[in-house]
Amino acid sequence: MILDRLGKELLFFDGGMGTLLQAEGLKPGELPETWNITHADIITDIHKKYIESGSDIILTNTFGANALKFHDESCSLKEIVYTAVEHAKRAAGEAQTAERTIYTALDIGPTGKLLKPMGDLDFEDAYKTFSEVMIYGAQAGADLIHIETMSDTYELKAAVLAAKETTSLPVFVTTIFDERGKLLTGADVPAVVALLEGLRVDALGINCGLGPRQMLPILNQILQYTSLPVIVKPNAGLPKQIQGETCYDVLPQEFAATMQEVVNQGAAVIGGCCGTTPEHIKAMSELCRGMTPKPVVEKDITMVSSYGQSICLGQGSKIIGERINPTGKKRFKQALKEHDMDYILKEGITQQDQGAHILDVNVGLPDIDEAAMMVEVVEELQSVTSLPLQIDTVDTKAMEVALRIYNGKAMVNSVSGKQESMDAVFPLIQKYGGVVIGLTLDEEGIPETADGRAAVARRIITEAGKYGIHKKDIVIDVLAMTISSEPEGAKVTLEALKKVREGLGVNTVLGVSNISFGLPSRPVINSNFYTMAMLNGLSAGIINPSSGDMMKSYYAYHALMNLDSNCEKYISQYAGENPAAPFVSSGAAEMSLKAAIEKGLREEAHHITESLVKEQAPLDIINEHLIPALDYVGKGFEKGTVFLPQLLMSAEAAKAAFAILKESLPADSGEHEKKNKIILATVKGDIHDIGKNIVKVLLENYSFDVIDLGKDVAPELIVEKAKEEEVYLVGLSALMTTTVVSMEETITQLRKNVPDCKVMVGGAVLNQEYADMIGADFYGKDAMQSVYYAQDLFRKR
Amino acid sequence: MDMLTKEAIRYLGYGKHAVDDSTLALISDSFGNLEAAAGRKSIYRIFDLEQIADDKFIIGKAEIQSRNLGRNLRGCSKIVLFGATLGTGVDRLITRTSLTDMAKAVILQACAAAMLEEYCDECQRNIGRELEAEGLYLRPRFSPGYGDFDIRHQAVLMQMLDCAKHIGLTMTDSYMMTPTKSVTAVIGASATMEKCHIKGCESCGKKDCTYRRDTL
Repeated sequence: MILDRLGKELLFFDGGMGTLLQAEGLKPGELPETWNITHADIITDIHKKYIESGSDIILTNTFGANALKFHDESCSLKEIVYTAVEHAKRAAGEAQTAERTIYTALDIGPTGKLLKPMGDLDFEDAYKTFSEVMIYGAQAGADLIHIETMSDTYELKAAVLAAKETTSLPVFVTTIFDERGKLLTGADVPAVVALLEGLRVDALGINCGLGPRQMLPILNQILQYTSLPVIVKPNAGLPKQIQGETCYDVLPQEFAATMQEVVNQGAAVIGGCCGTTPEHIKAMSELCRGMTPKPVVEKDITMVSSYGQSICLGQGSKIIGERINPTGKKRFKQALKEHDMDYILKEGITQQDQGAHILDVNVGLPDIDEAAMMVEVVEELQSVTSLPLQIDTVDTKAMEVALRIYNGKAMVNSVSGKQESMDAVFPLIQKYGGVVIGLTLDEEGIPETADGRAAVARRIITEAGKYGIHKKDIVIDVLAMTISSEPEGAKVTLEALKKVREGLGVNTVLGVSNISFGLPSRPVINSNFYTMAMLNGLSAGIINPSSGDMMKSYYAYHALMNLDSNCEKYISQYAGENPAAPFVSSGAAEMSLKAAIEKGLREEAHHITESLVKEQAPLDIINEHLIPALDYVGKGFEKGTVFLPQLLMSAEAAKAAFAILKESLPADSGEHEKKNKIILATVKGDIHDIGKNIVKVLLENYSFDVIDLGKDVAPELIVEKAKEEEVYLVGLSALMTTTVVSMEETITQLRKNVPDCKVMVGGAVLNQEYADMIGADFYGKDAMQSVYYAQDLFRKR
Repeated sequence: MDMLTKEAIRYLGYGKHAVDDSTLALISDSFGNLEAAAGRKSIYRIFDLEQIADDKFIIGKAEIQSRNLGRNLRGCSKIVLFGATLGTGVDRLITRTSLTDMAKAVILQACAAAMLEEYCDECQRNIGRELEAEGLYLRPRFSPGYGDFDIRHQAVLMQMLDCAKHIGLTMTDSYMMTPTKSVTAVIGASATMEKCHIKGCESCGKKDCTYRRDTL
């Protein structure tokens, strides 16, 4: 078994395949994998050359062999993979001796597609694509799976899950970092390490993109974070175009010499990528054979990650934003029930802007499908924030689906000391990775003493160990008890914090604001307790980052404890702050609301409306200020004196004013029901939604109730919603000629199923003629035209 | 006013109209945000060009038919395949901003387009310099979707450049590029220098376009 040797002795991969095939006559644009069938001898011969050069592991010619990339009519994907493995195994078999074992690695490259939400490939489809190839590879007899040249963590996760779930083979993974140590989609080194270790791959590392010399600093970073053997497979330098040919300039001897440094630094498996040849591998194996890799050291770092960044707990205290949670929040509950995703996402963005490091996500409500909602919220949040998320649920089904589709290594809230809870949660952490919060309560309830809570914490850590979950992936919550009912509550919690952090050596977390329940001026108690908790070892506080008092405690603590170098963060946060400065309008003090909206001044519109509602009825303000202002700007836009940015600034200003007026309108005024509903969607296959979003902002200004179905929306879903919500107008957007087909299909289906419903269309490629051709009722050449059409349509009804 | 800002204003549809100060402020702010979010990457490869008819030519294994492109490439012996992207960070920034401030999102969109064009121009100048040493001169770049150069040719361009692997540029089933702020193009190279603009506006047949650059 290769795993017995991995990390103990230096292992050698092979080198490049593409360059050699080109030399043999592979044409640009030709799929190299077809050569497994058409040029079997050449492929086998290349494997043999690498084995002769000293490779212990040879890669099958399957880098691009997957159903998304591979559409060759002449042979099936299965044949390609089977023959590829056969060629490698034949070459290996011929060279194999009692002293020398050669391993065949099934080579898996990226699909060539970008996953949702940035692209159009669904996570589970990526998973299926990889599974198919891996199942063939395992059946054909590959010894291990090598996933390489990955530049996106989400695709990487799909590939690793496929390998782990559909085969029992060892899994080696390398990704393609740039010189700044980033993947193309943004992840840094610790984020990739956290993800891969969470998924329990056997070895990880770096390949392609860089030459051996440029890889040294990246390798150094990987070694700081990982507790696994590290693979390094550089290109033969950086590619250059000479006389139209791609050339690599690092020669075999130089390559070998740098690879010796790579091994000295700590790599355990080495090989080559683009531009490397059997000569490179020969020089490298001759120079490095006999070297012993440095022993792998277990790193005690608690890391969570997202697609774009990692957060390590333990240095200073981190902020986990608590606002995405319906508990005690009427408005949030309403947003969940009404499926108001924008509201939920804004809660996330606001917390990030206020300084949160991790966002807690809790969407549990009795009447909703929590698992489905959790998946949607996690996916949507990950399209607007790079903060790592904390999956907060008691529903293990919701927890599992969220962990599966989460792009990164999540924080998980929570497991308790109850056997039932540990039996349900730990297998999920074992499979998907994660840092899990352990609540110090068990079948007996919450222990009254600090020692009692530490004892539960210890049991949680021991039980986790049975699943191979390391202590660093457990964060203990010793629970903050309300001091109004438990006079010793705060003292016990603080003592327990210290015991757990220092005695057990694990990180800690607390829901801080519980402490003040039932007391007046809660922020005073909360922020002071927060400081005390940090002083006693709180690694992360679950708090509201929009609370000024809490943030003051946070910044002050870090400044005082020399955790904020030169008090930089404290200063940048509070320097120049003028306490209780009243709002000063940038224009004349007596600017009217109408003028503020016309000029697109959001802040001013907000403040003027605030004072105006004290004197005037909301409906009068709407009729005297908002409507005339919007009309003025809208007409200007039509005439070509006002342009799109100004139109939208006015729209945002009006929106700010409406928000205040809405609060002042009597709750039962029935205004809500009277609104006319309009569905907006960007059609299937189209992922460009800015035009649709512009129309949405404007329609909302004119008090239409917009049901936004998003982008890449299937015709069936639009029809279903139109029926369900009894909608009389649907607006469709498409950017390209290739997606107008979906628009036409959507119109056809709407006509058939909801004949009364009108359809307006817009988008870059459309014009009146095109709109007529696909049977739309109206073509909006710009956003205002859609508003006028909608007004006209509903007026006539 | 610098060229980038001017281009952004053109994309926003202002034409010759003056731009108000708040929009200008947002434009300047947007370029700052984009600079932090963008991960510019590009790739090119040079191939022999075999023209078999006025509107038909062969690059490697790919056969391309387009009268407009044929005119553009007349007399060229080599062809540069080119791909460039501002990366996924820009897409995320625009998505995020759409939630909180639509005016800013629209401006970001325009600024990103201007930034991408500027980056492509810069890349093209560098390629041009390199080829000049070999006695070859570049033609204006031409992208799938221009004129009768079918957008579907994007697939083969991206495959030949291996854009996904090298610069993270991919496309959807509907031929939309992802990340969205990306370009693929071909650039002809010939032994004779011709008066040529780097950019595509002037070579486009759509004379009534709102966004057309004023070249008169």
